Amino acid sequence: MSPGLARLAGNAALRFGRQRAEARARRGADWRSDFLAPPLRLAPRGKELVARHWLEGRTLERGRKVAWVTSGAPAEVLKALGYFVVYPENHGAICGAARMAVDLCSRAEDAGYSRDLCSYVRTDLGTLRSGRTPVGRVPPPDLLLACTNICQTVLGWYRVLAHHFRVPLLLIDTPFLYNEDASQHAVAYVRRQIEQAVSVAERIAGESLDESRLRETGRLSRLASHLWMEIMRCNVHRPAPISVIDQFTHMAPVVEMRGDPATVDFYAAVLLEVQGRIASGTGAVHRERKRLLWDNLPIWYALRSVAERLGEHGIALAASTYTNAWGELADLIDPDEPFESMARTYLYPILNRGAGHKLATMRAMIETYALDGVILHSDRSCKPYSIGQLDQRDHLIRDLGTPALLLEADHNDARVYAEEQVAGRLDAFVEMLEV
Amino acid sequence: MTDHALPVIPRRSEVARAHRRAGGRVAAVLPIHYPRALLRAFDILSIEVWGPPGVDTGRGMTHLQPYVCSIVRNALAFLENGGLDVADLLLVPHACDSLQGLGSLLLDFVRPRHLVLPFYLPRADGAQGREFLSEELRALRGRLEQETGRSPSDGDLLEAVRREEAADGCLARLHAERESLALDEVEFYRLVRAREFLPLEDFTRLANAGLALRRREGRPGIPLILSGIVPEPMDVLRAIGDLGGRVVADDLAACGRRLYPPGGSEEPCARLAESLLAGPPDSTRGASVEDRLRHLRALAGRTGAAGVVFLGVKFCEPELFYLPQLRDGLLQAGLRSLVLEVDLNDPLSRQTLTRLEAFLEMMA
Repeated sequence: MSPGLARLAGNAALRFGRQRAEARARRGADWRSDFLAPPLRLAPRGKELVARHWLEGRTLERGRKVAWVTSGAPAEVLKALGYFVVYPENHGAICGAARMAVDLCSRAEDAGYSRDLCSYVRTDLGTLRSGRTPVGRVPPPDLLLACTNICQTVLGWYRVLAHHFRVPLLLIDTPFLYNEDASQHAVAYVRRQIEQAVSVAERIAGESLDESRLRETGRLSRLASHLWMEIMRCNVHRPAPISVIDQFTHMAPVVEMRGDPATVDFYAAVLLEVQGRIASGTGAVHRERKRLLWDNLPIWYALRSVAERLGEHGIALAASTYTNAWGELADLIDPDEPFESMARTYLYPILNRGAGHKLATMRAMIETYALDGVILHSDRSCKPYSIGQLDQRDHLIRDLGTPALLLEADHNDARVYAEEQVAGRLDAFVEMLEV
Repeated sequence: MTDHALPVIPRRSEVARAHRRAGGRVAAVLPIHYPRALLRAFDILSIEVWGPPGVDTGRGMTHLQPYVCSIVRNALAFLENGGLDVADLLLVPHACDSLQGLGSLLLDFVRPRHLVLPFYLPRADGAQGREFLSEELRALRGRLEQETGRSPSDGDLLEAVRREEAADGCLARLHAERESLALDEVEFYRLVRAREFLPLEDFTRLANAGLALRRREGRPGIPLILSGIVPEPMDVLRAIGDLGGRVVADDLAACGRRLYPPGGSEEPCARLAESLLAGPPDSTRGASVEDRLRHLRALAGRTGAAGVVFLGVKFCEPELFYLPQLRDGLLQAGLRSLVLEVDLNDPLSRQTLTRLEAFLEMMA
C-alpha cells in the first residue's frame, strides 16, 4: 500500500475510533470515579490528533525528511523547512503512560545503559533496540536537533543517537541563567547557533528556508502557546475546571505540534469546553475543597491513582509548573523577529533558570490560582528539575505557610515507585491540609 | 614501592592559608574546567574541590536528594561544615546538571558568606564556542575587577596565561613520561593532582623534582588506561598495583582531560578560551562518542595499554552515556574494559576488588 493510501486508511480508522470513544464517553461507559469528573469531551479528539501525528510519521511521503528534536528546541525552523518532527521525550511519555516503559528501560539496561540514566532516555533506547513502541513505528531521523535548555542529559542522549543513526546532530547550547537575565553575548551565541543550524537543515532538506513560512510557523506557535496558557488560566476559577492530570494528557500538541494549524484549532476548542465547564460550575474534582500545585514532570504510570487518592478528599491538582512552562513564554515569541526572539525564548524556559526563579514561579502560581499546598515530585530521572526542591519546600512552608510535600518517584520507571509509601505520604499530607 | 622520596606536598588548606597570609585571595573551585590564569592575574589562588571524599554529608543532605553524586554532595557538605572557610570566593563552572544545580542552590538558598561566581563553559564547537567563552571570560574578568578593586592590564593577564601554560606543559610531561618515572600510582597521582591547588611556581618545582626521579627498570603489571572523573578513592590505585595492573595513561576529567594545549591568540581572554576548549574530549563538554573513542584508542596506541578501567562515580550521568559504545569500540580494537562504580564516601567494596582482580586475571 502506498504511504498516501495507508495514511488515508489510517486516518479513517482513527476517526472511527474517535467517534466510538466519543459515543462511549457520552454514555459514560468508560468512566468510573466517584471523585473525579470525566475527562474533557474533547479528549478523544486530542488522542486522535496525537495518533494522526504518529500515523503521519509511519506513512511519510518518499523523500520527506525527519528530524528528532528535544522538547525545548527551536523546532519552528525545521517545521518551516518541511521536516516531520519527532520528539523522543514525548514518545517516552507515551510509553510511560502505556506502561511499556519498564520493559523498554530493561532492554536498554541489557545493552549496558545504566539505570541511573534518565528513564526517558532508557525508554527510547529500549525502543531503538527492540522496535517495540505503542505508536506503531518511529521514523528514523535524517537530522537531530538538541537544545540544552532543559538539561545536559540531552547532550549525551543525542550524541548516542547521532552515533547510532550516523546522522548530523545540530546542537543549540543555551547558557544556564543562574539568577540573572541572559547576557547579550549569551543571546548572540544562541542566535548564531540557530542561524548555523538553519543552513545545515536547509542543506539536508534540499531547500531554502522561506521566511514567510517561518513567520507563519512562529505565529501559530505563539497562538497555540497563548491558548494553552488561557486554558490553564481557567483554573483561577473555583472549582478548577481542568485538572493537571488532564493538562498532562493534553499538552502533547503544544510540545510536538507547535506551529501546526491543527494544534491551534484543537486548543481553541478545548478552551471553549473548559469555559463551558466554568459556566456550568463543573469541577475536575467533585466537591472541590482544596487546590494544589504540582511541581516537576508527571509520574506517567501513576497519574490516575494519585489524582484519585487526592480527589477522594476533594483535593484538586489545579496547577503545575511543568504544564505552565509550555505557555509562560508565549509573549517572547515574535514572528516578525524570528531569530532574535527564538534565541531569547529558548534561553528562558524554567529548566534553564535557577532554583530561586522556580520558587518565585511557584509563589506566583500559588497566589494566582489560590492554592492550598504543593506537591513536589522529586524525580530521580530529572536532576535539573529536582535539585533545589528541598529548599523550595522549606521556603514554601516557612515563608508562605504553604504545606508542601516531597514525593520521591520517577517519571517513567515504575520500579522506583513505592506505591504504598506514596499513598501513606499522600494521606499524611491530606491530614495536614485539614480537609 | 620506590626507594626515593618526592618533596612533601602540603595540604590544600595549608597552601590556602599561606597564600592568604601573603596578602592574596583564595578561590574554592568546583569541577571541572576553569580559567586558572584569570584568577591568578588577580592574585587569587584556585584550590579545587573534588568532593572531597569521606566528608560527613549530613548537612549536605538537607539540600540535595540522595540521587545526586557524591562529588557534589560532599562539596556542599564540606562547605557547610566549614571546610571552605579559608576561601574568599567560590567559582562554580558549569559541568553537568548536578553542578549546575549546586551553583544555583549556593546563589539562591545556601547563600554562603563567600562570593559565588558561576561560570558557563560552552558545549558548541568551533568559533561559536570560542567567541562565547571569550566573552564569558571578559565578563568574569569585569566581575573580578569589581570585587577585588584590581585591574590587571591585558599584558599582565597575557603573562599570567603564558605562565600557566608553561605549568600545564610540565603537567603534560609528567603524564607523557609517567612510565619512566620512579613513582608508584599513588605517588604519581598525588604529584599531578598538586596542580589542583599549588601555585604554579611551587607546582613546577615539584613537577621537576618528580621528573628527575627516573626508574631504572620497567614497571611490572598489565598496562591500563584509567577513565572517569577523578581517581578516588585512592585505594583503587593501590588495588590496581597490588592486583597486577599498572596505569599507563589516564582519561580522567580531573587529570588527563585537562591537559590543555597553549592558545594562539595574543588577546588574553581569547587565548584562554582557545586553550580551555582544545583539551582532550570530555563527556562533560559534550564530546562526541567518536571523539572519545578515537582518543582512548590513541592513548592505548601510544602507551601500549591493553585495557581500560572506567571508574565511575555513582549517579554521574555524563560518564554513563557512552559506556556501551565505548566498550564495543574498544573491544573491536582488541581492548578489554571494566566498569567500576564508586561513591566517594564508601570504602572500596570487596565486590569491586574481586571484579578488578578477575579483570586483571583475564588479561594476564
